[in-house]
Amino acid sequence: MADGKLFGTDYIPADLVAKVTGRAKYAEDFRADGMLFTKLLLSPMPHARVRSIDDREALAMEGVMGIITADDLPETDNLVGSDRALTMEPMYQGEPILAVAAVDEETAAAAIEKIKVDYEPLPFVIDPLDSLRPGGPNARVGGNTIVDRKEVVEIKWTAQDFEEAGDSMPMGEAEVEWEVGDVAKGLEEAHLVLDETLYHQSQTHHPLETRSCMAYWQNDKLTIHVSTQSTQRTAGAVARGVGIDPTQVVVIAEYCGGGFGSKIGGTVNMPIAALLSKKTGRPVMHRVSREEENAYGRARPGFQGRVKLGFRADGRITAIDLYLIQDNGGYGRSGDFTSASRCASLNYTPLNMRFRGISILTNTPTRAAQRAPGGVQITAMLEPVIDMAAKKLGLDQIEIRKINAPDNDTTYGSNEHHVTSAYVREALDKAAEVSNWAELKAQSGQTNGSKVTGIGIALSSYVAGSRGFDGLMVIRPDGKLYVHQGIGNLGTHSVFGTARVASDHLGVSWENTEVVWGNTSRHLPHSAVQAGSQTTHAHTRANLAAAIDMEKKLKEVAARTLGGSADSYVVAGERVYRRGNRGSGLSFAQAAEKAIELGGTFDGHEAPEDINDWTKGAVAGLAGQGLVGVAKDNYGGEGDLWSFVVGVAKVEVDRETGAVEIQHYTAVADTGAVMNPRGLAAQIHGGGVQGFGLARSQKWVYDPKWGVPFTQRLYTAKPPSILDVPLDMRAGTVDLPDPQNPVGAKGIGEAPFGAGVAAVLCAIQDAIGEFDLKRSPMTTDLILNQLEGVPQPITVLATDV
Amino acid sequence: MSIFQWAQNPWGQEILIRISWDLLYLAIAGGLAFVIGHLVYRAKNPPKTAEVPDIGDAGKDIPEKIVRHSLAARLFHWVMAITMITLLVTAFFPILGIQFNWVPIHWMAGIVLTAAIIFHIIHASFWLNLRNIWISRQDWAEWKQEMEHALGKGEPPPKTDKYPVDHRIYHNAILVTGFGVIVTGLLMMVRVENLIFARNSYLLAESTWGWVYVIHGLSAVGLVGLIITHIYFAILPEKRWITKSMIWGWITKKDYLANHDPERWVVTDKASK
Amino acid sequence: MAVIRDTMAEFDLFQPASIDDALALKRRYGKTSWALAGGLDSLDWFKDRIKRPEVVIDLSAVESMRGIRETDDADGVEIGAMTTLTEVAEHAGILSRFGLLADAASKVATPQIRNQGTIGGNVTQDTRCWYYRGGWPCYRAGGNICYADTPTAINREHALFESNRCVAVNPSDTAPALVALDAKFVIMGGGGEKVVDAEDYFITPAKDITRMTILEPGELLTSIRIPGTWAGARFYFEKVRDRQAWDFPLVNIASAMKVSGNTIEDIRLVVNAVGPRPLRLTDVERQLKGQSVTEEVGQAAGELALLGARPLQHNAYKIPLMRNLVKRAIRGTGARA
Ligand SMILES: Cc1cc2nc3c(=O)[nH]c(=O)nc-3n(C[C@H](O)[C@H](O)[C@H](O)COP(=O)(O)OP(=O)(O)OC[C@H]3O[C@@H](n4cnc5c(N)ncnc54)[C@H](O)[C@@H]3O)c2cc1C
Ligand code: HEM
Ligand code: SF4
Repeated sequence: MADGKLFGTDYIPADLVAKVTGRAKYAEDFRADGMLFTKLLLSPMPHARVRSIDDREALAMEGVMGIITADDLPETDNLVGSDRALTMEPMYQGEPILAVAAVDEETAAAAIEKIKVDYEPLPFVIDPLDSLRPGGPNARVGGNTIVDRKEVVEIKWTAQDFEEAGDSMPMGEAEVEWEVGDVAKGLEEAHLVLDETLYHQSQTHHPLETRSCMAYWQNDKLTIHVSTQSTQRTAGAVARGVGIDPTQVVVIAEYCGGGFGSKIGGTVNMPIAALLSKKTGRPVMHRVSREEENAYGRARPGFQGRVKLGFRADGRITAIDLYLIQDNGGYGRSGDFTSASRCASLNYTPLNMRFRGISILTNTPTRAAQRAPGGVQITAMLEPVIDMAAKKLGLDQIEIRKINAPDNDTTYGSNEHHVTSAYVREALDKAAEVSNWAELKAQSGQTNGSKVTGIGIALSSYVAGSRGFDGLMVIRPDGKLYVHQGIGNLGTHSVFGTARVASDHLGVSWENTEVVWGNTSRHLPHSAVQAGSQTTHAHTRANLAAAIDMEKKLKEVAARTLGGSADSYVVAGERVYRRGNRGSGLSFAQAAEKAIELGGTFDGHEAPEDINDWTKGAVAGLAGQGLVGVAKDNYGGEGDLWSFVVGVAKVEVDRETGAVEIQHYTAVADTGAVMNPRGLAAQIHGGGVQGFGLARSQKWVYDPKWGVPFTQRLYTAKPPSILDVPLDMRAGTVDLPDPQNPVGAKGIGEAPFGAGVAAVLCAIQDAIGEFDLKRSPMTTDLILNQLEGVPQPITVLATDV
Repeated sequence: MSIFQWAQNPWGQEILIRISWDLLYLAIAGGLAFVIGHLVYRAKNPPKTAEVPDIGDAGKDIPEKIVRHSLAARLFHWVMAITMITLLVTAFFPILGIQFNWVPIHWMAGIVLTAAIIFHIIHASFWLNLRNIWISRQDWAEWKQEMEHALGKGEPPPKTDKYPVDHRIYHNAILVTGFGVIVTGLLMMVRVENLIFARNSYLLAESTWGWVYVIHGLSAVGLVGLIITHIYFAILPEKRWITKSMIWGWITKKDYLANHDPERWVVTDKASK
Repeated sequence: MAVIRDTMAEFDLFQPASIDDALALKRRYGKTSWALAGGLDSLDWFKDRIKRPEVVIDLSAVESMRGIRETDDADGVEIGAMTTLTEVAEHAGILSRFGLLADAASKVATPQIRNQGTIGGNVTQDTRCWYYRGGWPCYRAGGNICYADTPTAINREHALFESNRCVAVNPSDTAPALVALDAKFVIMGGGGEKVVDAEDYFITPAKDITRMTILEPGELLTSIRIPGTWAGARFYFEKVRDRQAWDFPLVNIASAMKVSGNTIEDIRLVVNAVGPRPLRLTDVERQLKGQSVTEEVGQAAGELALLGARPLQHNAYKIPLMRNLVKRAIRGTGARA
């Protein structure tokens, strides 16, 4: 744990006032002289080839300034997998074909209506199992799965595979397979074996801010306002998409209205505004509508799954035999299903485990990481099954999780990696304490009129950090510490929180710490992407490294100025002075001025060798402006970083209506030393609330006949509303430092989500009995059907309903 | 004016969905124009009462009442008439702006019509002379002659067989349009809730459905024209003997001799029974 | 033609300040015109470029269509069609005498939508069938197919009753409450003023598949009168939905009951979102009169209410849901109360 006074305390982040007063400017709030607007023509079909485009009439319209198609995009080293901003072979309904720039959106839209596109409809598929059937349709011309990110191949299962499965999920040829131990033996030795078919739907990210962009060129330099999670790492993506060098790009993104993994390094549509701007010579604004957000935004892949779980009488899991079919969308190859296998392995530390999986292309939007990719799905799928096992074995829900819980010695996954730390039993205990589990448990099954109470507890895990990035900061002649942050401002506030480690180390007050962020022209260091819960861990380390460099340089500047050895100086109270004699020293302002005089490494005219080239550029940009602290995070480390969240939910299910009220939710995290208590509570509650949506109401629906989605609107997709959130929300943490971070911090973005979904699902199941359909969301209709004995309208494996 | 109605399917493709209802107005207008034209013509050329030729002894076997339509045939005609009218009213009143719950009445009437026609086909193929409605080359020639005569050229056409040629033409038009609405109408029943077939709007391909609706519509508006003229002729005084025969089944010997050629429609006692 | 969403196409906007002017415009532009109230239904259609009126007549400046006033009829109120749902939900007189309506209005969507949405618009709103809303050429849109009742359709929100080719439902929360309160709808048109029972305002596709109400293109709904008849009766409103805000009803129920002792003297019972119009359960009402308020009576009423229900692939849950809601309405206590 850090000994500083900022780390671990609440604070008001620098962006707060702007946000709550509405003055914060997001990408679509910018305007520029002569700015044009663009609207896109989207594919109406789930899969087609564009034979020809006739845009003459549109181009002839007054106010239409230019049109670009896929032909205007730069060549890429075309990985078969990845989508581009525009295409001539749309892989899903809503994929952009072309973009029109006009003086306003109305004109652009009217122009698009005048463009005649001749499409050749191609076979399409929505449900991966349909594609796996003998003779089933393929999402792509060449096949239904992508191997090694470069080749589309076709895999079909046999009629026999399907027949043998009956109502369960068929399990034909897999694409990925690993086994640790001997699953067959593990199952044989089990006291109880469950064989379950499970489903988790695909899901849009639903960020409040859509992926709008505004772009303009000055000379050969592109300035682009985007909605992105990361800042520094977005520049490369823009450059690639536009076909220029990253040094020619200025990315401006001070705020991001949510990304949840869908805007990690920016968005696929960024080149559109940029290229149209180049073509027309005017700034171009691309405002993305909600409908479009749901098309060329991203989505979490859904899973159809089957699991065999073996349990000893004491609840210890002897074997997990897991098979997942991943709904891959039309592009790329999502890693969710393999991440899911790792989460299953880590959460339950089975004595033996086999994983098989296949990722099948479908003609639905491009998949990408979504907050705990793979983790959410597998947690939501398996936790209710664990509860069923506990019930059958007569065990408490917490006990069965404890006996299987990972700890600091656990190895997991196919290559039996170590984790840096895992305090799961502690988290379970803490959750029991914070939620008052004993009291909740007594309420389970109690009725109140037509309502019955259910309680649930769930364990969720996810990776929580990375290493090896750069920290960069300057003390300017105004005496303030400027911490330059290449990570994004996603609302998690790690962009501020991780800077406080530097302030602490240098003894700078928060008032005298300025965080520089959100604009790559402001000399930002090479950073982790703002994703995968990486930044808290990665940038507390990187900023500490740079702060240590700063401290060293402060002392050297003092020694050179005032004499003596650097070692005889201390840094404290925003001064560097001789140990024991505060009067003999320099203020930070003086030190900055001295550094500028001294030059060299002091003021950034020279940079260390081991930092990233990008950071070297940033250092060069800062040269001469003050005392520069810069360093790469060289602490090293071993093992994988994971955080854990235990969620506890209490629900009341109305047996007459199927309505569910979530009455209580507790989330307790093992996320190392706590950097920002209020931020942490917001993260684990926010993730939980997102989870309530997946458990209860949030949907992803396609018409199977036409391959067209219906849940492109927030009111049809139904993410949770504030009234679906209980008043009784509690948070806790085990607050045990991670041994591999000098300040003990781990990230916490991902793990809270799965805990929310699974705890609520478990609680509903506790109230109404074993689900007859083991899938989510458990909507009112499915619950009522189960309670009333009405045959369910769908099978457990039905996708996209 | 347009002939077809198009729509954009969920994939944005133009699809044919039905005929344009402009054609309904056209059919009504066409039917009425014919009626008016005919009335004008008739006013200028008042119909002469057909002379009853003296055929002497040849006529002595001819009974006073000559059966023209059997009971079964008459029943069929009137069932068909009622269902047709029902179908027309239920289909077109809503289009003309008079709204009511038409679909169930429409398909039920459609089923009755279908049943009646099936009966008629069986009855006609086994008990009636199909040649009666066949249009031969001679018929066409006579029709041409009739038309020319009506326009004041040439000789009047010869007297006719049991069914005069215009009746035959009319029957055939009804046959085509009738089949048109029935075959398509039966298919269309799966598009709506009904008590007979399970609803399945995806039974046929989208474009096939388009044609089904077009054929139903074309036949339907065709029937509008046909039925307007049919009713018009049925109430003309000079044709009333025919109308009566559809009610009572027989015609008088006088009408027989005045309008038919006994050589062509041979009436014997047997036939008149 | 391409599918474009969220960008309005052009129209001429009129903002009349009186009912007469508004009606004159309606008469002049007829079917090519569109009355705009709160816009929560209308603007969706415009932005998605599916309904494309040439002329939009914004009623927001018509002061005489706003506000709630007492009527001569003792205890009655008259609500201007342009009164917002928030005003309806918070009005003291409505709260005290017609709590049913206030309750229903307060459960519509979200506070923002209630601040903007009007009572007139709420009862006149179009269905939310997502095939139709997606611009698909279905019966309701003038086509010749119902996409929502096909072997593969996803019709969880659709109708159990009174479907006729179209299986869409009326999604309004206030409509069933107004029918239960025996409200009268005041319609102005070419022929002057016409007052119809709330029940008769709504139509089924059997009558006209392209409309939800009897309003003719040249007419406006100007106000809604609630007679004193049911003031202070025993009311019950419940709405079941997937989430607690910003969500249309899966099924809702509104009932007004006059009880003496424990005996039902009179009752009006209306369920919505199960058919194309608020479904008044007249048979059930008749059965209930004279019965006492018990669980069994409620159960029997629920069963009776289901007569004639025709479930689709995904909406069979509405059968027990509706039955139970009827039972709860009689019982008078929901589970959430
Ligand atoms: C996301 C969302 C969720 C919603 N959830 C619910 C819900 O849960 N429950 C619910 O009941 N409603 C719900 N609504 C509907 C909403 O509350 C409005 O009541 C409704 O959309 C229409 O009201 P409006 O005043 O906005 O009317 P508008 O949208 O302007 O008009 C609706 C229709 O009525 C016509 N119209 C309006 N006023 C008149 C008049 N005086 N005379 C003649 N014609 C008129 C218009 O021409 C138009 O056709 C929701 C709407 C949205 C967008
Ligand atoms: C005189 C004969 C008939 C006429 C004039 C007639 C006319 C029509 C018309 C104009 C329509 C509306 C079509 C559209 O919306 O495009 C219609 C619909 C329909 N007809 Fe007929 N029809 C006739 C006979 C029949 C018969 C014999 C049947 C069935 C056996 C039938 C079944 C239907 C059905 C089911 C529909 C509804 C289809 C839909 O709305 O999608 N009709 N008819
Ligand atoms: S239910 Fe009605 S509105 Fe929906 S697709 Fe069918 S006809 Fe159209």
